[in-house]
Amino acid sequence: MIDRLRFASLAGLAAILMAGCSSTVTMEMPTIPEPRIEKIPVDVAVRIPAEFENFVHVEEVLGKSTWTIDLGRSNANFFTQLFGHMFDSVVVLGPEDDPRDYQFDALIEPEIEGFEFATPEQSQSDAFAVWIRYRMSIFDSVGNRASSWTVNAYGKAQKEELGGGDSLKRAAILAMRDAAALIIMQMEKVTNIRQLADGPLAPAPEDTETLQADAEHDSEAPASVIGIFAIGGIDDAAE
Amino acid sequence: MRQSRFLVVLIGLSLAGCVTSRLEDDREKVTGLNEDQSVVIMTKSYHSGNETEGDYLTCIEKALESGSKGINVVPHQEFVDQLFPWFEPRTAPADTKGLPALMGRPGVSKAIEDMGVRYVVWLDGDTERVAEGGSLSCAAGPGGGGCFGFAWWQNDADYEAAVWDMVGRESAGTVSADVSGTSFLPALVVPIPLIARTQTRACKGLAQQLRAFIVQ
Repeated sequence: MIDRLRFASLAGLAAILMAGCSSTVTMEMPTIPEPRIEKIPVDVAVRIPAEFENFVHVEEVLGKSTWTIDLGRSNANFFTQLFGHMFDSVVVLGPEDDPRDYQFDALIEPEIEGFEFATPEQSQSDAFAVWIRYRMSIFDSVGNRASSWTVNAYGKAQKEELGGGDSLKRAAILAMRDAAALIIMQMEKVTNIRQLADGPLAPAPEDTETLQADAEHDSEAPASVIGIFAIGGIDDAAE
Repeated sequence: MRQSRFLVVLIGLSLAGCVTSRLEDDREKVTGLNEDQSVVIMTKSYHSGNETEGDYLTCIEKALESGSKGINVVPHQEFVDQLFPWFEPRTAPADTKGLPALMGRPGVSKAIEDMGVRYVVWLDGDTERVAEGGSLSCAAGPGGGGCFGFAWWQNDADYEAAVWDMVGRESAGTVSADVSGTSFLPALVVPIPLIARTQTRACKGLAQQLRAFIVQ
């Protein structure tokens, strides 16, 4: 009996120690305020990829702790709100939906290309920082790729409480707002999405589905690929 | 009773570290604030390397609002949300030259007018530990514990507030606070912290100067 108690208390102590070395942060749904802009007169469809339904990122701070950030559906929610504010009309498509069943001028497929964060321990500062790299693939109404654009967003929040989970959440929300600001300011200029309201760029490609699948996994950047990478400002050279 | 109160005050005063402060302003335009007008306090963007603490901003907001001479302050998050995305860290205007273009954007001028914002104050700067020294060690055993030694550290709080007049769409001037505080921690069994509240002093000083600058 005493051995059992001793084992149980040791196991409990080990569990507490292990829990102390890892932190899990679950994101709440971000709210993107209604922007002070004129809507772009384009009917768009937004295809939400499967990864946006449950995005989890794990980061190990070498020799110290493991951080897990569960973004859940926050990205799906974020893009639905954002494009709802930006365009005349928006249809949200799930990963299984066939775009050919819907009417639109432009199809936007956002995806996460990269997600990183730094804890105060790593950056030797008092703040958490989050970087998110989104790729926005844009197609015309018949499946021709119109543009592919990389959006790099950054958020930083000071550690204000023990543990820092809430600060990390704030940094992630700030990174999403940063992405939203950049998309609002630059999307029309960089992707020429407005011109898709006048009709498709070219006749339908032979295999629309293949093209769209290529867009998701294409490793070679097409001629229309425009990247913006800017921490601390917008890279005007990319315009 | 009176003696014990006096003792508490005396201990309180003796437990504070040394603080020196310098407050300055540089006026460019005549200012003034009507009763229906307000100010908003913002921090300069972290995209440009600024590290002004969130609690410092909150402290300035509260200090400006409080007291009989308090002025109207619009919470910065409300202002940023109302004007999304034009006051985000990435998009906020870096100087007053960008104001006419910003005010020309759809709904911006009207939203600022509706909130009654006359001045936007941009905070820049932070509080840093610039020096520290001494040594302090603590030990505990079955019979008790204690600390022995002496430690000290110096914090510098250096902040600048740039005041923008949103009606005139021009800079009204700047107010700055430079506060230096040294804290001590002597320990002879029990540590006695003598803390210099550098950031708090910088907050109160800057807020007072800022209020005088705006209201005149």
